[in-house]
Amino acid sequence: MAKWAMVIDLNRCTGCGACMTACKTENNVPIVEPAEALAGRVMHWMEMISEYDGDYPNIEVKRMPKPCFHCDNPPCTRVCPVGATYRNEEGLVAQIYHRCIGCRYCMVACPFTAKVFNWHEPQWIEGATTCFNPDVSRRLVGVVEKCTFCSHRLMKVKEAADEQDRPINDGEYVPACAEICPADAIAFGNIEDKGSKVYKLSRDYRASRVMEDLGVEPKVYYLAKRTR
Amino acid sequence: MPTPQSQRKFHVIVSGVAIGLSLIAWSCAFVANDDVNQPIAYNHKVHIENAGLKCTDCHVHVETMASATLPSLEICRNCHDSEPVSDSPEELTLLKYVADQEEIPWVKIYNVPDHVYFSHRRHVVIGGLACSACHGAMNEMTKPATSPFLKVTMKNCMACHRNNKVSNDCLSCHR
Amino acid sequence: MEIKRRDFLKLVGGVSATFAVGGCALDDVLEIPDRLIHRVRKGPGLETWKNTICGLCPGGCGISVRLIDDVPVHIKGNANYPVNQGGMCPLGLNGLHMLYHPDRLKRPMKRTANPGSGTWEPISWDEALKMVADRLVALRTERQSHQVAVLGYDERGLMREHISRFMRAYGSPNYVRFSPSENDAVPHSLLHGHAHIPAYDFLNAKLILSFGSNFLEEGYSPVYYTKLYSRHRELQTQYIQVESRMSLTAVNADQWVPVRPGTYGALALGIAYVLIREELFDAGFVKSNALGFEDWVDRSGVKHLGFRTIVLGNYYPEKVSEITGVPASTILEIGRKIGNTPKSLVLGDGGTLDNTNGTFSQMAVQSLNALLGNYEAEGGIFFVDDVPVASLPDVRIDEIAAAGNRAEPVARSRDVLYPLSTFSIDSFAKNVLEERPYPLSVLFLNKGNPLFQTLNHLDLASALRKIPLVVSFDSIINETSEYANLILPDHTYLESWGEVSNVPTVGFSHFGLQQPVVEPLHDTRSTGDVFIELARRVGGTVQSAATFSDFGEELKFSAEGIFKSGEGAVVSRGQRQLWDEFLLRRGWKSGRYASFDEFWEQLVLQGGWWNPVRKKKSVDRLFTTPSGKFEFFSQKLQEEFNGLIPRLGETGSSQNLESVLGRLNIGARGDNAAMPHYEIVPYEGDRPLFLVTFQVLPNRDGVGAALPMMQEMFGYSVHSPWESWVEIHPETAAAAGISKDDWVWVESSIGSLRLKPRISATIMPEVIAIPFGMGHTSYGRYAKGHGVNPHTIMRNLYDPVSGKPAIEATKVRISRTV
Repeated sequence: MAKWAMVIDLNRCTGCGACMTACKTENNVPIVEPAEALAGRVMHWMEMISEYDGDYPNIEVKRMPKPCFHCDNPPCTRVCPVGATYRNEEGLVAQIYHRCIGCRYCMVACPFTAKVFNWHEPQWIEGATTCFNPDVSRRLVGVVEKCTFCSHRLMKVKEAADEQDRPINDGEYVPACAEICPADAIAFGNIEDKGSKVYKLSRDYRASRVMEDLGVEPKVYYLAKRTR
Repeated sequence: MPTPQSQRKFHVIVSGVAIGLSLIAWSCAFVANDDVNQPIAYNHKVHIENAGLKCTDCHVHVETMASATLPSLEICRNCHDSEPVSDSPEELTLLKYVADQEEIPWVKIYNVPDHVYFSHRRHVVIGGLACSACHGAMNEMTKPATSPFLKVTMKNCMACHRNNKVSNDCLSCHR
Repeated sequence: MEIKRRDFLKLVGGVSATFAVGGCALDDVLEIPDRLIHRVRKGPGLETWKNTICGLCPGGCGISVRLIDDVPVHIKGNANYPVNQGGMCPLGLNGLHMLYHPDRLKRPMKRTANPGSGTWEPISWDEALKMVADRLVALRTERQSHQVAVLGYDERGLMREHISRFMRAYGSPNYVRFSPSENDAVPHSLLHGHAHIPAYDFLNAKLILSFGSNFLEEGYSPVYYTKLYSRHRELQTQYIQVESRMSLTAVNADQWVPVRPGTYGALALGIAYVLIREELFDAGFVKSNALGFEDWVDRSGVKHLGFRTIVLGNYYPEKVSEITGVPASTILEIGRKIGNTPKSLVLGDGGTLDNTNGTFSQMAVQSLNALLGNYEAEGGIFFVDDVPVASLPDVRIDEIAAAGNRAEPVARSRDVLYPLSTFSIDSFAKNVLEERPYPLSVLFLNKGNPLFQTLNHLDLASALRKIPLVVSFDSIINETSEYANLILPDHTYLESWGEVSNVPTVGFSHFGLQQPVVEPLHDTRSTGDVFIELARRVGGTVQSAATFSDFGEELKFSAEGIFKSGEGAVVSRGQRQLWDEFLLRRGWKSGRYASFDEFWEQLVLQGGWWNPVRKKKSVDRLFTTPSGKFEFFSQKLQEEFNGLIPRLGETGSSQNLESVLGRLNIGARGDNAAMPHYEIVPYEGDRPLFLVTFQVLPNRDGVGAALPMMQEMFGYSVHSPWESWVEIHPETAAAAGISKDDWVWVESSIGSLRLKPRISATIMPEVIAIPFGMGHTSYGRYAKGHGVNPHTIMRNLYDPVSGKPAIEATKVRISRTV
């Protein structure tokens, strides 16, 4: 069984934000009105965390892209009263929009604030939505959504691989963010495959995960930025 | 002056009526859908038996794409270009579309919702399903179907998956 | 029967869900024409891909557009295109929103009331073209063809040649461009002789010292540089960023050196001091290939002080530290670092150039490359070959056109200002207003948005108002086109033929082909085609500019030159590319294309051509200065100054170099004026803080403001969507009593802006920064009314030599408000 994981190399990531937009256009993530955006309700499945440390002028700015971590022991799935979010056999934590009742417990449970909510009907000003990818559905108001590791791409790749009776090759299935990153900072693949890039990178001396002590077993590894 | 208790009663009655009416309206919606009229009363039987066509001759993408696709005018024109080949009045309607170079506005009756990934390629090529499993014996139909042979419901999909020991993982279909 | 939760809520709860059943729900998207929606709804869902080049910024990244039933649905990077190699920036990914924008002009428009009133009336193409052509014909008849002008933006290559041909055949010298790259080329031309902007060998350099060049976020091609930067750890390259605020590049650099605005040149010279004093410079290069390092005597026997003398005498670390705010120890450290690290590379942009002393500062920065012997060295700087496109056939010029072409250009200053600039917007506006040397009758505005970007808003607006016929080619009405009388909307880059070649500073010659990925959505026309049509309608010899039936044909003709040269290769997958490279090096022509038709077919399919192999040039033949060497003392500049003396005589001042320099507001005297030096910026003394500005990737130079997804991402790192902000150092904020929940007044001598603060130590205490690109008063429903435009409170100052707007030359005061 495959287990899908991601490794983000912070030495390479410049914080440009292309992954944020690639994700939005790939997954038909709605745009919210300016007032809502200013209230903190922008819907970014992939978010760019930015923090700085140090005393002027020796400032160290840390930028890291944060998708959903697709934990192996996900707190969000435990609190969902209707089973709308669950972890499948390949390690993908899915959000089934039609079961979601919008209680947002999962948003509270997630220690990484990976989930976003459709506070309004996903239409923005002047009655226009942004749907360009026919492979991904559009959500309704009142539904939680989050990064899916572009699982719709997995289904297509799996189909092609099954038809040819072969396993999925490393690098054949990559989410939109990994594909677009101009700095090649995001690696993605099957961590159970010992020949895969993510397997090797996740064992790099720089590799670590966020808040490992919580025991949620996130599947996104970060390769630490080598500081000055 | 209405007491809190009578107010509550009033509310219950009003909600009850509202729900009742909505249920009626909602069930009407379900009934309303049954009579589907296609622009041309296409006869599958005659095309399969007399013209010797297979499903994939017109629904060309069944083995390569998710959507089997309804045939475009181009496909019909392979045989029906200018002169009628039969004495069916329906064919004259077809030839008019050909002359006007207008795509025939077929009405889809197998409608898979936006949030479901259903791939014909997966089911036919990999799964080895016959078309008739979901579409019925189309070779017997002399008129277009007015409702689906197998209703496109999650229950039906999952039942077949269960019977055939195929994954019922939500993510395989929900997108 | 099962109750489905969604349907139940739909009926009882009144949720107006817009479910599309089957196919893609495109009906609620940004205005997509019905016929496209119909196609997607009814079509078989066939997927195809088309390659083209993004046109939202000058970066020239290759993109692949996904089409379902020939309707574009998604954009991603073209993995084979060498500039970006599959990478993208947020703006480029959002290109489809520009294509489907609800405020796109669907047909030509005519203005019926005052500019800015928004009263436009549709007009047919025929009528509009007739209106313009009639006027053009009339002007030729009256022998006033020179009264027609074209104000372009940053177009290079074929479009530039196309418009030039039209103007030449028509009879006007007034084709000008408000172009950052043309301004930026000036300092290089003074040192090197030719106006090529150099390219940088990032992959082989070990230390990269950037003076204000925010190459990861602004500048010529952020994605290209991100790709190069991403390998810095494996290649063990160190990055040092000198800048007044911590830009994205500074954030990612190994060291940020905060420097006072306007003093980049001084810092560069301070570092030159260290290199010279400690003998860490390339003596060989300086001796054989540079003029003016040591004291020298020119041909007429005049003695000149050398660069060495001037630097050692004036730019010692303590003094430079006082000027720049950089500690003397840091200056020494950096100087020693670059002097002792082989393959240290220096580049300058941004704050170096964006000031009144931009030219001299850039000259100072570039001198470091000369001192380090970086020209044509590994890890150094070099010049990319031109793309071997075919030259377009000559136009025929009749006597009217010949006379028109000889007229004095309207954009040159009749005074002595901006001697080396190809165009100064300041001179242009002033000359138009004063009708000197003659009034303008027709002005074509080819893209960009000069009124939004410039510093002389009022003058330029008045100038636009003065010209009787202003024609714009914009797709969405913006601040500048509000002043147009007629808009002949161009296609977007996704709907037309075009090319983006040799993006400045990219390290190989390349030809990016733009093809229509979808048929035009609306009744728009390619601007190239409009010029061809106008040439036809004007008739006579002007018709010779309409050699080709349309711009696409002209592009094809142009590409034939590349095919004939046999050089380079159509971009393709990696392996094959390397093999071709190998073959080319060995002198073999790869001969993969049997004919031009095959070449063109491949070019359209893959999206571009490039030449990975560059013939290395000898340093002796690199410079086309009068001396044939790198000139620390720019003889060209000296000549320009001397050439201006007689001109001054006309206006009655005493005829000498000092007057010229005074008139140009250049403080340096004598030899200094033609050499890299620290030129003091005339900041106002009564305001304590420097105002600098910067661009962000989702917006670039104001383009992204029309796109709501980009507006939402505008300040993603500081949580400021849809709004501008002002960056303030914590000490400065505390002194002014400003906390993060307050509002701030930023006040200059020109005006004030009210903004939300972002208090952070990622900026010098005496500097505040406001992002550029917001504060639109037009340009669509999503751009209008959001944020503020920092250029509106900046003083109307320019670099006197190149004409570049000085956007870091203003000082301000801040105060707390509600």
